[in-house]
Amino acid sequence: MSLLTTIPVPDAFEARTNATFEALMWALSRPGTVQDLPAPGRTGIAEALLDRECRVFCDDPALADRIATFGAALVPLPLADHCFLTLDAGLDRLAQVAVGSALYPDTGATIVAEAGFGTGQRLRLTGPGIETFADLVLGGIAPGFWALRAALCHYPTGFDLFLICGAQVIGLPRSTTIEVL
Amino acid sequence: MTIATLTKPWEAMSYGFLDASAKRELRRKMLKAIAVPGCQMPYASREVPMARGWGTGGLQVTLTLLRPSSVVKVIDQGADDSVNAASIRSFLSKVSGARETWDTLEATIIQSRHRIPEERLRADQVLVLQVPNPEPLRPVEPNMSVARQMHADADYGRLWLILYEQIVRSGRVMQGAAYPSLVNGRHVMTPSPIPRWDVPKLHMAQHLTFLSAGREKRLYAVPPFTRVEPLVFSDVPFQVEDHAALTCHRSGLTGYFMNEIPQGGGGSQFELSDSNLGIKAIRQAEGAEARVGSTWYENGKMPQ
Amino acid sequence: MAYVATRGGERAIDQSERLYRAELGRIDAARVAEIRHALPMLIDRVMGEASLYEPDLAALALAQAGGDLYEAVLLLRAWRTTQPRLTIAEPVLQEQLFTLRRISAAFKDIPGGQILGPSLDYAHRLLATGVLQGRPYVPAPVEPAATPAPARQPSLAAWQKAQGLVADPARADVAPDDIPDLTREPLLFPAARAHTLQSLARADTGGMLALGYSAMRGYGNAHPTVNELRLAEADVRVRHPRGTVFSAGRVKVSQAEVTSKGKSGLLELGFCATLGWNEVKVISGATLDLNAPGAAKGSPVEEEFFLYHTEPVEASGFCIHFKLPHYVTFQSSLDALRGAKAAPAPHELEKVPA
Repeated sequence: MSLLTTIPVPDAFEARTNATFEALMWALSRPGTVQDLPAPGRTGIAEALLDRECRVFCDDPALADRIATFGAALVPLPLADHCFLTLDAGLDRLAQVAVGSALYPDTGATIVAEAGFGTGQRLRLTGPGIETFADLVLGGIAPGFWALRAALCHYPTGFDLFLICGAQVIGLPRSTTIEVL
Repeated sequence: MTIATLTKPWEAMSYGFLDASAKRELRRKMLKAIAVPGCQMPYASREVPMARGWGTGGLQVTLTLLRPSSVVKVIDQGADDSVNAASIRSFLSKVSGARETWDTLEATIIQSRHRIPEERLRADQVLVLQVPNPEPLRPVEPNMSVARQMHADADYGRLWLILYEQIVRSGRVMQGAAYPSLVNGRHVMTPSPIPRWDVPKLHMAQHLTFLSAGREKRLYAVPPFTRVEPLVFSDVPFQVEDHAALTCHRSGLTGYFMNEIPQGGGGSQFELSDSNLGIKAIRQAEGAEARVGSTWYENGKMPQ
Repeated sequence: MAYVATRGGERAIDQSERLYRAELGRIDAARVAEIRHALPMLIDRVMGEASLYEPDLAALALAQAGGDLYEAVLLLRAWRTTQPRLTIAEPVLQEQLFTLRRISAAFKDIPGGQILGPSLDYAHRLLATGVLQGRPYVPAPVEPAATPAPARQPSLAAWQKAQGLVADPARADVAPDDIPDLTREPLLFPAARAHTLQSLARADTGGMLALGYSAMRGYGNAHPTVNELRLAEADVRVRHPRGTVFSAGRVKVSQAEVTSKGKSGLLELGFCATLGWNEVKVISGATLDLNAPGAAKGSPVEEEFFLYHTEPVEASGFCIHFKLPHYVTFQSSLDALRGAKAAPAPHELEKVPA
């Protein structure tokens, strides 16, 4: 008597969110590598990760409206577990992003931001997921960001970063040491 | 707005059994686990149609990853045809449509209890280890909240102390499987009850490993190219099981982790713990087609 | 090519399951209905531990599990995992409960009155063996009281608070939708109050009794007096998307409040509530809750200790998992053991080979 009889087929939502997550997972596992998302933009990431259990800060009103439909609560920046930010200016508020605690590092936020890949600042990455070092060129991020990140994130506390360019994503977990070349 | 708009059409079961909100929670926690290698991330751990302690943590991670194009291998004690491995593998394929395999080289996801396959895992493969007890500090501190504080403080002195006491008493470290290991120089984790033989396979590996304890509601990860260093003293090096010179009486292979089979008249025979490696070796010897990948250990030694 | 201790893999597990199910035979709607109607206390216990209020499903789970309670609870919990969350019900206050039984051991009489309600407390526990000899047992009809007790009853603790007898703990004002939910979040310590109460509500009745009993015998600091025990029905009030709050049905609930004099000189309270009627469970749970503040780490009345160890699905699953093969870990220990026998004495430590 098997109680599992139907042949399961993922619907479009399941297929899309599964593929989005896989891109995010490999992006964070191999910092600096570019992974392909099933669709451009940040909405797909929100759709794959967020629901009524989440607290979100989003500085783009249109995207914030969309995220609210997934059930997430829109909250002030220090309370957010997921932050959809622009990083090309206004870095002063970065200090408000939750970095978690040594007791619960998982409460450090995930930041999702747009960036340009291939032009701009040259960075050298080392840490888990990288065999020796990896070089990366990123644009659209304010010059002071990386120094500020280093000052705010004391491993294992910190925030984790997904940078989006069209339908591509790069992941920079807090475990990555980033040197501006 | 109506109640109907708040939900979706009824279906007997979500794709991959877990509903969308369970998967989203696991995804969020799996990302945090990657971001802080070796650090135990608490998660809600939904009940699944298997008893706690039977791989429900691994199951939830695997179910979150599965898609119809996945190829899934499940082993218990190294064997694909072990009853619980067969049960889990059949469940996984029934709820996802993923193809089942016994071949490590073919699999995209390998869920395992107590072993890491002998063939090297590749960069595109995910290893999911089932974890009965995620807390390496449990032998010295059974209270979870105290243990968590010790991790926060990187306070591992008492773990070192029991290893030292073992050396003083027995002349060697007596820890068998589940050897406590320092991940990324910060968090001590238990690599799950894999033999010491398998611990070096996690160090600076190509593949991604998730370790998930469903009953204890904790998951953690070892991303690719992450340092995993067994706790050792500089003058007492880490010792894997003394299996390098043993030969499998079925396949004739030497230099891998073995099962010991006690024999009637005294003494023991040995057979490969990684059962499908043995099967492939026998097929090759019989002239059939079987591809054996490169293995972590070569001639019983792990290259540095 | 069979390499494993328990051989045969898929065919073996298939046939093993068939053997078990053959014993239970055909399961049809009539059997499920009979279980539901004949065993309401068991249905309640299973629904409470499963944290899923659906008597038909609970009866089905019991039928499928052949009465194995841990299996039945696991079936229901696993089914629960597959269900979407549609809405969150409004909180229910004690005085809103439709109360069928309400007693207090702390006072001879209480505002609203003692209501004995349905109980075997004062029955003589005699087996009706005549049933087996063909003489059905037909219970005597209930004779209604001349004046029915009011269905809604005040809370005794409210009276005690008004009298200044009971410490009134600061209330955390949490919007109903934001009450932490144990089934969506892990239990961490110190636990959110909501998580503690939810854990107690779905705890294993037997496990809770064992630990609660240890506290009652003296392994806790506080000796419980039952301040108020209630069996009731609660309306499940939900908000329609258009804003109207309506009752979607009623669920049976039980709750116990136990009390003892605290160090502060005031009465302290322990509380436990669960779905279904289960008096042993709520009295044990309330006793544990009463004893928890300030309990030593590792004591049976410490919150982390009793909440972890009374989780029925986790505890029973881990217990039976020891049947699974463990020969790899055993082999690894054996290797260390043999290595130690051959090892040099500790003073030659530096010569231990790699």
